[in-house]
Amino acid sequence: MNPNFFSLRIAEIQPEIKGKATSVIFDLPANLAETFRWQAGQHVTLRFHLNGTEQRRSYTISNPPGAPLRITVKRVVDGMVSNHIGDHLKPGDMIDVMPPFGQFSLSPDALNRRTHYFFGAGSGITPLFAMINAVLEEEPHSVAHLIYGNIDDGSIIFHNELGKLTAEHGSRFTVRHVLSAPSMWRSISPWRKGRVDAGLIKDAIAETPPVAQDVQYWVCGPGTMNADVKDALMALDAPASRIHMESFGGGEVAAPSVIGVAAKAKVELDGAVHDVSVAENETLLNAVLSAGLAPPFSCQSGVCGACKARLTNGQVHMRARMALEDSDIARGEILSCQSVAASDELSISFDK
Amino acid sequence: MTRMYHHLPVDAYTSQDWFDREQRLIFSRTWRYAGLAEDVPEPGHFISVQAGLNNIFIVMGRDHRLRAFHNICRHRGTQLIRAVGKTQKALTCPYHDWTYDLEGNLISVPDEAKEYPNGIDKSCLGLKPASVDIWRGMLFVHPDPNPPSLADWFGAVDPLLGPHKPEELVEYPDARRSYEIKANWKIVVENYIDVYHLSHLHSNTLHMYDHAWAEYGWKGLHYHFWEPPAPEYAKNLEKNLPTPRAIPEPHIGAWVPMLFPGIGLGAGEDSWNIFIITPLGPDLTRVENRTKLANASGWEFQKQEWSSWSFWKDFGGPKYPDGDATGEDDPMASGDFTAEDIYACEQQQKSLTSPYFEVGPAANGESPVVGHQKAILGFLETQETGS
Repeated sequence: MNPNFFSLRIAEIQPEIKGKATSVIFDLPANLAETFRWQAGQHVTLRFHLNGTEQRRSYTISNPPGAPLRITVKRVVDGMVSNHIGDHLKPGDMIDVMPPFGQFSLSPDALNRRTHYFFGAGSGITPLFAMINAVLEEEPHSVAHLIYGNIDDGSIIFHNELGKLTAEHGSRFTVRHVLSAPSMWRSISPWRKGRVDAGLIKDAIAETPPVAQDVQYWVCGPGTMNADVKDALMALDAPASRIHMESFGGGEVAAPSVIGVAAKAKVELDGAVHDVSVAENETLLNAVLSAGLAPPFSCQSGVCGACKARLTNGQVHMRARMALEDSDIARGEILSCQSVAASDELSISFDK
Repeated sequence: MTRMYHHLPVDAYTSQDWFDREQRLIFSRTWRYAGLAEDVPEPGHFISVQAGLNNIFIVMGRDHRLRAFHNICRHRGTQLIRAVGKTQKALTCPYHDWTYDLEGNLISVPDEAKEYPNGIDKSCLGLKPASVDIWRGMLFVHPDPNPPSLADWFGAVDPLLGPHKPEELVEYPDARRSYEIKANWKIVVENYIDVYHLSHLHSNTLHMYDHAWAEYGWKGLHYHFWEPPAPEYAKNLEKNLPTPRAIPEPHIGAWVPMLFPGIGLGAGEDSWNIFIITPLGPDLTRVENRTKLANASGWEFQKQEWSSWSFWKDFGGPKYPDGDATGEDDPMASGDFTAEDIYACEQQQKSLTSPYFEVGPAANGESPVVGHQKAILGFLETQETGS
């Protein structure tokens, strides 16, 4: 990437969702076309000097490669830069822009034949919109399915553009709107009400299962949405290598810790309770075995479920959980051979 | 001197060497038909298919994505799974209960600590991945985990295969059959694409289409063919179709391509059929047929049968009238074009071992036969030289 700023002229300002977001289109002089060549999903950094301080912000390019360089900025309440962009920028202004970069990108290939599932919420649509366009234009044998969460129909960025893409690409593009708080007088009937959660993701995939078997999942939303969608996909055995994501609006989501902490455990087995110390990164099963107890176990791979226990206090992290259904986990069941401690005190029971 | 059969030596149709070479270089290195998409309908379902020298199985994960693996346990090589079935989340080899997840990872080795006291690196012992994809409602497998895509392999010929959407049609189970022909697989392919024979061997069985107006040719290794309905049939086509339309009007005609290697399709206004050719030996070939028809009600089928009855009641018949046939079971008296084709293929194969066999000049309508021979030669050459 090129770490320098270049001064670009604003060609056009376009309010979106009644002014709650703003699209900014830049003029790209021919001599900068190569420097600013981007892949769908990448972002640019803008630099402003506001109230005597330098402010930098990264915004996703919301157009596919080949189209005009455009960013779409959603207003953040009291946000210094997003409101400056929405209130004060006008065509002809010169803005400092750093060339595109970012790992969250989709490179279309005319000979690829893929099924792309896009899960987005709010302004997370911006990279996905660029990617969807890139797939529809540059990857003719591939299809795209978008599941898009918003609060209500008035907050759907690119609502009309998405409708237009559906009309133009019928069999190759579907969009399903999910609204968490649809207004009484809504103009559209969403596919679902609520949030883009595990049950909804499972239904969406079953409704439009992949035809092309090279399947890729692209996730971009605020807060914990990315981690939630990834968990939901992995609960369906979608491999992590096919899940691509970028966090939006809520900062980075901490990756779940996979290193177990040292802990004191109370272990109920055959009607008696034992105090067992668990070493850092040791599985609960090994700790119980080291203490001279004889819990049930078999495969030690998370497959058979023989070492199942119930967690009654504290937290664990499971490295694999094939033998458990989501409903088992909701009841507190764990696989002791796959669990490391995530809290320094915990209680488990092997008894029914 | 090598006796030739147009571009190929006669040996290519009779010898074990050629058979082995084709198995290794053609059928083990290309996308192979593995079934219809509905054969693996739900998460957990699996099927296996012999694709040249490779046995490959396909399983659907809970994410509805298909995975393909070589059907070989990484322990002692036992075939892991049988023909068809359903699993939940894991695949276990029956021999020593080694267990793999649906990504092919080896996740369980029984009595691991006792049997492998020096440890065993399960991460290096996952199932060998292969590839699977769906195209025109059919499953295809490839032994390589990163093969050229089906868009690459079939892309150029795809627009010439007719407007059918097989995934929207419904299989007609009574038409499903599998049979063996005592002939080399190339004889069966050549018969399928020989335009010259249509008006002669099938003079009384396929004349609802007008062979004189056939349009045919090649896109790389794949052969495409289309011909219009004959005037008699076309005059009241909508009335004469034996079953409801499978493609929208105004599309008419028969699309009968032969995709490489040995993947025949045959589709018309009212049906879509597959004709999968699998070599079993130098002079033995299996053919699998399946048929799909319109997704229409029983009533629609009944109405179409009544409306077309007057056209079909006097249509066709044996190639040879009673007097010339050798008996009731003479294929030439069957009035069935498949029986006629099988007979012709087997009669041809019989002559290939005769020292007196000498091929005559290829006719214009046999240019596809010669074209297929060139395709075989060209493909073998690129495989052997690696170019």
